[in-house]
Amino acid sequence: MEGKTTMSINKNAILRAGINRSAVLGSVAAGVMMAGISGAFAQTVTVWSGYPELAPFYEHVAEGFRETHPGVTIDVQAIPLREHERRVALGLSSGSAGAVVVELNSATASRYIENELFNQALEGVADFVQDSENFGEFFVDAVSYDGTVYGVPLFRGQSALFYNLDMFEEAGLDGPPQTMEEYTEYAKALTKRDDSGNIDVTGWSLRLSGGGQGIAEKFWINMFQFDGGMMIEEVTPGKFRINLNNEAGRAALGQYLDNIHIEKTVAVESPADAEAFEREQTAMFIRESWVIGDIAAKAPDLNYATAPLPYGAIGLPANLYVSAEGEAEQAAWDYIQATNDPENLVWLLENVGWLPNRHNVDYSPVTEAEPAFAAFVDYPEGYAFFTLPALAPIEEVLTRIAAQLVNAFAASQLAGDEEAIGNFLQAAEDEANQILRREGLLAE
Amino acid sequence: MLKRKRLLFAIAAILPTLAIFFWVRIIPIGEILRLSVHKWDLLSRNKPFIGLENFRELFADHLFWEALRNTSIIAFGVLLLTIPTAMVISALIYHRTKSRFAGFYETSVFIPHVASLVPAAMAWKWIFDARLGPLNAFLGMFGIQPQAWLFDPTLSLISIIILCSWQALGYAVIIYLVGFKNLPNSLFEAARLDGASAPQSFWFISMPMLKPITLYVSVVTLVSAFNVYAQVFVLASDAQGAPGRQVRVLVLDMLENAFRNYRVGYAASEAVVLLAIVLVLTFIQFTLLREKGARS
Repeated sequence: MEGKTTMSINKNAILRAGINRSAVLGSVAAGVMMAGISGAFAQTVTVWSGYPELAPFYEHVAEGFRETHPGVTIDVQAIPLREHERRVALGLSSGSAGAVVVELNSATASRYIENELFNQALEGVADFVQDSENFGEFFVDAVSYDGTVYGVPLFRGQSALFYNLDMFEEAGLDGPPQTMEEYTEYAKALTKRDDSGNIDVTGWSLRLSGGGQGIAEKFWINMFQFDGGMMIEEVTPGKFRINLNNEAGRAALGQYLDNIHIEKTVAVESPADAEAFEREQTAMFIRESWVIGDIAAKAPDLNYATAPLPYGAIGLPANLYVSAEGEAEQAAWDYIQATNDPENLVWLLENVGWLPNRHNVDYSPVTEAEPAFAAFVDYPEGYAFFTLPALAPIEEVLTRIAAQLVNAFAASQLAGDEEAIGNFLQAAEDEANQILRREGLLAE
Repeated sequence: MLKRKRLLFAIAAILPTLAIFFWVRIIPIGEILRLSVHKWDLLSRNKPFIGLENFRELFADHLFWEALRNTSIIAFGVLLLTIPTAMVISALIYHRTKSRFAGFYETSVFIPHVASLVPAAMAWKWIFDARLGPLNAFLGMFGIQPQAWLFDPTLSLISIIILCSWQALGYAVIIYLVGFKNLPNSLFEAARLDGASAPQSFWFISMPMLKPITLYVSVVTLVSAFNVYAQVFVLASDAQGAPGRQVRVLVLDMLENAFRNYRVGYAASEAVVLLAIVLVLTFIQFTLLREKGARS
């Protein structure tokens, strides 16, 4: 894997058995210092999150934070991601947000940093982030702009396969699929139908509908399994190119279409995603680690396991940024640092399931107690990762591609026709590249 | 002197309302027009003037045309479904005015119009559900195969038309009822003496005489349907978990361009197009009503 849009996370990076003593001492010292200065605050800091399931985590951090900062009120507002993105855009651009801690992925945050809507990290915070004992280079780069730190890494979205063990056993399958060809074969074996042949349980739940960029992201994850196929590549620094009509793109779309229209292992109207998996309406699907926490809360008796994907996974870091002035800024950064306290990060993993990015913390009590985490932290040698590039119009590009993909998924005439698939992907690629051209970002 | 005082009083009385109207209506419209000829990403301080570039790009954008096509189909679909249905229902209610259930009929028809939109749309989402929805269960009784109401490109549009019409019907029926109550009874009595049946009276007397009402209700329904958004958002939004096929309409496309793609100038140019459509429809209404007034 090459280019800035790829990364490498050390195997077992978050499974470090021993807690780094100096880090613990540092945290304790920082806590004492925070306590000393807390009397100076009488502030409200609002936390904006795009994941409702993270609200208990931020509240948990706030609970401990109150002890050291009794004068600071933490107001947690966690809403669905797309609404969150709109809120951030409106709130920050209008200047009406007040003192806020904003959770965003690096690609989206770059716009705000370019327009000076996020504060630079305070010196102590920047040192904490840049300390290689705490975070790998990939995560430091993700919160930096022109070498300056603007945020603090918190967690990442990383995908793996979730599969229902009972359904696999029933179908005579003794382990997860290892190649993309096997994914289709397994899906065929796992699909359950009623007497009329309609799908009762999908063999493999794919993201086929809805709106927004999620469809394109999920497609990219599947595309990546075909020898690391990349949808967007940074060809030269600051110049990008969309690649859909390549071998991986054609193979991925071909596989979607085969499953929908030829093998009929999944249908656009089939129940999908974590909800369907928890209700045993699908046998397997690819998703991030938060599903583990979701299953524990909603379907604790579900007999399932996880597995790494055939080639690699997406790693989408979510970071915390600050938009605040005066004393509220200090309070906001203090709160952000509190989210990265070892105890809080372990709580996050155990209770929510998102993977923390700080690596010098002992997560083994959680990962050993919950085997499903293995696919996320104990992956094979050479397992590759990709992430969304810090490209200003990334949302528009992915949303456009998603709109095209939805049309492709509905087009039964494309199934099995390689030339038609290639033509379709070329048209989608040209349209997306036109966005890059308009913004002066296209690598010619 | 008195006349001048009355004039001043009238101006003073209307001024606050005018000021609010100017602040919340005229200024935003002016700002939209200004933004439509600028490039602005919502976050940047720079808003370079780009002339009609946004419009040029807009008219070459297939997503915009898809949104315009869907919006127009929904708007005219709602119109075609709502107006005749409202007219027939209001006629039936009017001719049952003396029934003790008259109030119940009126209330039942009007409730959808005042019901909160989101819970109502959620209920319809369940009704349209391909697997568990009562609509497919009902159709199944007649041997009709279950339909993917919210996923099929055509059926999803029909679903939205049904939901919007269900909501618009109550208002249209109430307005038509007012119209029916103002029709002179003598005409119907004369028609009855001449041997006209009830459907004939409805067709040859009620309908022509209700033309101004029909014009008003048509334009209000059409303009309102062109602004369709929340119904689409709930029935086929972009929440995770495959809730339905996203039906792209103009307002949704505008929001996406402005707040997801950070293209406020471009979204403003879409808003200008929508404004133009609504203005043309309003102009048609005024023209037709004025013609009617002139003839009378």
